[in-house]
Amino acid sequence: MTTLADSLVALRGRSSMRERLRMRDTVVRRFDFLLLGSSLTLCALGAVLVWSATRGPAAISGTSPTEYLHRDALNIGIGVMLGAVTMVLGGPRLRRWTPGVYLLACALLLLVLGPLGATVNGSHSWIILGGGFQLQPAEVAKLALVLSLALVLGEWRATPEGPGTPEVLLVLGLAAVPIGLVLLQPDLGTVMVLVFTVIGVLMVSGASRRWVVALLLVGVLGSIGVVQLNVLKDYQLQRFTAFLHPGTDPRGFGYNATQAKITVASGGLLGVGLGHGAQTSGRFVPEQHTDFIFTVAGEELGFLGCSVILALLGLVLWRGLRIAARSPDPYGALVAAGVVCWFAFQTFQNIGMTVGLMPITGLPLPFLSYGGSAMFANLVAIGLLESVAIGTPRRVR
Amino acid sequence: MKYTSRYGLRLGVLRFLVFGLLLALFGQLWYLQIVGGETYRRAAVENHVRDVVVPADRGRILDDQGRALVANRTVLRITVDRIALSRQRDHGTAVLHRLAGLLRVSYADVRHRITLCGKGVPQPCWNGSPFQPIPVSEQADPMVALQINEQSESYPGVSAEVATSRSYPRPSQALAAHVLGYVAPISEGELSTLSTEQQDIRRNDVVGRAGLETSYNGLLSGRDGIRRVAVDAVGGVTATVSETPAVSGDDLLTSLDAKVQAVLERALGLGLARARSFGQPAKTAAGVVLDAQTGHVVAMASYPAYNPEIFIGGISAADYRAVTSRKAGVPLLNRAIQGEYAPGSSFKPISVSAVVKEGTANFHDTYSCPSGVTIGNRVFHNFESTSLGQINMHTVLVKSCDTVFYQFANHDWFADQRRIKNGQPPIEAVQNMARAYGLGQDTGIDLPSESGGLIEDRASKLARWKTYLRRNACAGAKRRPASDPIHQLDVENCTDGWRFRDADQANENIGQGTVLVTPLQLAAAYASLVNGGTVYSPRIGAVVRAPNGRIVRRIASPVRGHVPISARLRADIVSALYDVPRAGTAAGAFGGFPLDTVHVGGKTGTAQSGLDTKYDTSWFASFAGLPGKPAKYVAVVTIPQAGQGARAAAPAVRAIWEGIFGVGQAPAAKPSQTSGRRP
Repeated sequence: MTTLADSLVALRGRSSMRERLRMRDTVVRRFDFLLLGSSLTLCALGAVLVWSATRGPAAISGTSPTEYLHRDALNIGIGVMLGAVTMVLGGPRLRRWTPGVYLLACALLLLVLGPLGATVNGSHSWIILGGGFQLQPAEVAKLALVLSLALVLGEWRATPEGPGTPEVLLVLGLAAVPIGLVLLQPDLGTVMVLVFTVIGVLMVSGASRRWVVALLLVGVLGSIGVVQLNVLKDYQLQRFTAFLHPGTDPRGFGYNATQAKITVASGGLLGVGLGHGAQTSGRFVPEQHTDFIFTVAGEELGFLGCSVILALLGLVLWRGLRIAARSPDPYGALVAAGVVCWFAFQTFQNIGMTVGLMPITGLPLPFLSYGGSAMFANLVAIGLLESVAIGTPRRVR
Repeated sequence: MKYTSRYGLRLGVLRFLVFGLLLALFGQLWYLQIVGGETYRRAAVENHVRDVVVPADRGRILDDQGRALVANRTVLRITVDRIALSRQRDHGTAVLHRLAGLLRVSYADVRHRITLCGKGVPQPCWNGSPFQPIPVSEQADPMVALQINEQSESYPGVSAEVATSRSYPRPSQALAAHVLGYVAPISEGELSTLSTEQQDIRRNDVVGRAGLETSYNGLLSGRDGIRRVAVDAVGGVTATVSETPAVSGDDLLTSLDAKVQAVLERALGLGLARARSFGQPAKTAAGVVLDAQTGHVVAMASYPAYNPEIFIGGISAADYRAVTSRKAGVPLLNRAIQGEYAPGSSFKPISVSAVVKEGTANFHDTYSCPSGVTIGNRVFHNFESTSLGQINMHTVLVKSCDTVFYQFANHDWFADQRRIKNGQPPIEAVQNMARAYGLGQDTGIDLPSESGGLIEDRASKLARWKTYLRRNACAGAKRRPASDPIHQLDVENCTDGWRFRDADQANENIGQGTVLVTPLQLAAAYASLVNGGTVYSPRIGAVVRAPNGRIVRRIASPVRGHVPISARLRADIVSALYDVPRAGTAAGAFGGFPLDTVHVGGKTGTAQSGLDTKYDTSWFASFAGLPGKPAKYVAVVTIPQAGQGARAAAPAVRAIWEGIFGVGQAPAAKPSQTSGRRP
């Protein structure tokens, strides 16, 4: 196992200056700038899209049109700091704290179901902290699950031939608690993310094909179940919209899906230009600055802008996969793989629902959607990836 | 050190899955934004663009001095959109309750107003298009309108807007309801003839439904504008995308003179009062004043009149019943152009024209005016069987001797019968002359729904008999007992009703029986006497003026024809008619009138109006002008069931001349001095 100290020792070795420079392996050189750059670019893009989506309604309600932009920037700032702390704390301490994080997440999930929780959009998934702050425990649960899976499969019960049935059952049991609690909210989108993260990590960790196939089957069937349940969810969302805006014509089921599709598609190749989206400024898509932020990009930035966003998200996922593949220790590799599974599925589910590939569920788009808890969780996850990266000695070519 | 993770292969699978998902998203984006973009762009445009119709201001109708007879006023109109209400969960009950509270009316009242009229639906209800926002208040308080607009979330489907509606300023108290007409919301039937696009634009239109509003609807209505606005999901307007401005309608300047119109309307009231003072029922009246030289209408009135304001925003059923009620005299009828009456002796100048032109008589020869003349097997008498001895044509007209005309009728009728026997067509000189004067046919005035009247001749009687006279008479003969006096008539008409008899011709020569004219027709005929023989198609519209003041069109009264008599004969007839107020049948009515200051000529008429009434139709057809000039104006007043022309219509016309020329005062209501004469 390579540590920072090892590499510092290596630096003191006798070599030519040139050789030493070539061989130099510092924290800075191990740090994945591409990962940080692409995720921060996504955050910045998100802030701009949030501004575009909220300036109209804000102007109507009399608040500052840049209100949400400021708050999003603040979230990003806090998120970056949390991410940096996570990275610096690094592997060993996090490992020690993982059981605590897991218990904390479960406790918060329990708490949210109680009288402290607040219902938004039909889901009982928020804890109001006061002072305008609120916490979404489901986001903590995602982090906790990724860390717990890595700890169990990558260290505690790590076996060279991969997890056997007892390990798989142990993992499923551990995962079932937060998943079950999230399901009670009900937050079906997060449930799907958690389920597919568990399946992804089990697969990467070397679980037998039978287990992987069986779990995938359960996951897909569960998703279809969500599609069925989604009718109810969509209806609830509509009822919410109709409640806020009685003039809205409830144009039957699937209003959100239709409007989201129309909004994305009407952008065409180049988009109508930032701030010029008639669909966006007309508030045709509900929850546009949070779950449906991608529709703003679709309409105002067009296919080209959406491709850039997809490419940046792809870049984040690629760097995550690369970090997982290079990590010499199973724990780090599984943490990275878990984060990749989480981001990948959440991205697919979120964008997929705006373009008509997936049913409507309430999930933010990583880095782009407005929302503190999600932003913090995403940037902490980037911090986790970076901590794995700086724990990995540079490969010498 | 080999860094390849033990998870290499499994991570490869994950990478494959992750980028597969991203690729799927990319493909779907390509499909949506590039391949199918156009379809969705259209859907988006439909989503957030609405066309708002900007109604054009309707043009005004002005009198010849530019005084507005019909104008527009701005109102704050509160409308309710039935469709928006029906989409609400409680079908708008809550919204309407709030609105009723705001308007300080009962909920039931608002609910009724927006209920579509139909069988068993009580008043008030909406009889316009169900797709049109329905006005519930036209006189809303500005604060109420403000409240509705500011709290649009509380009033979905309700809107307050500035709208224009017709107003009737009534300069000099002139109403002219029948001439001006009224407007009403466009009907579903009219809409259905338009294209879908036009239907959307014109759904809130008003259209002229009577009078000048109908005739000049195209010019008055202008062209509605369309404002294309961007709206948000709740229908709030966020921006104006494009705008086609509304083009205001043109103003119509008429030849009406509000002061004369007011004088005429008052004169009809005076004539009616006069007739009633003689015990006549006299419930209706009509009058018209023409500019004899141009053929334009200076004033036109019909009694009873109605208030055109009842049509604003749709007439209520109760009001509609009132204006179409027979008992009330059908106020909607414009009797000046729709009332057909026998003209009585006011027809005589036409008879004289015919017999002199045909050579049956000479204007300056003398003819006997016995008390009665035998025609067929009946004796036709003068009024009160007066005999005037040998008199010339001038006196015949001044004193209105009937028996002279009976003799001419006899002569002409027998001559025509002889021609028929010889296989020649009849001449029917009086009928032809009546048509040359423009009688028995539409004048073509710029008002809708004019009546044509009737000048009966052999051909038209046969045609009438074939179409309905025979059927009615034969049925009547079977139905009525033989003791009924009408039974005999029916039996005769059943078999011989087609015959144009000598008695028919005798009646026709004195404007009775089967001669029916409208007051306007007679006025146009009299105008020809003083304008050199020109029969005009009278016009009320004079100038069409664009909102910017540009003259779009000047309207002249078209010439329909010339009366084919010599200027000499015309002058002789006119000279006789000038003596009527001085020494003839209207001398009583014009007693004390300064006839030397204002030259007035005219002819009284007293027509039996059919078998079923003992009350006569009172006529006075008159022209007047300053001395030494051709008469400028023609005025005709008709008052059915009012007795002699001299007693009701002539005093009314006198009041008109007094009003126009600003002379004298109407004489005190005293019995006419012409009681001994048939007018």
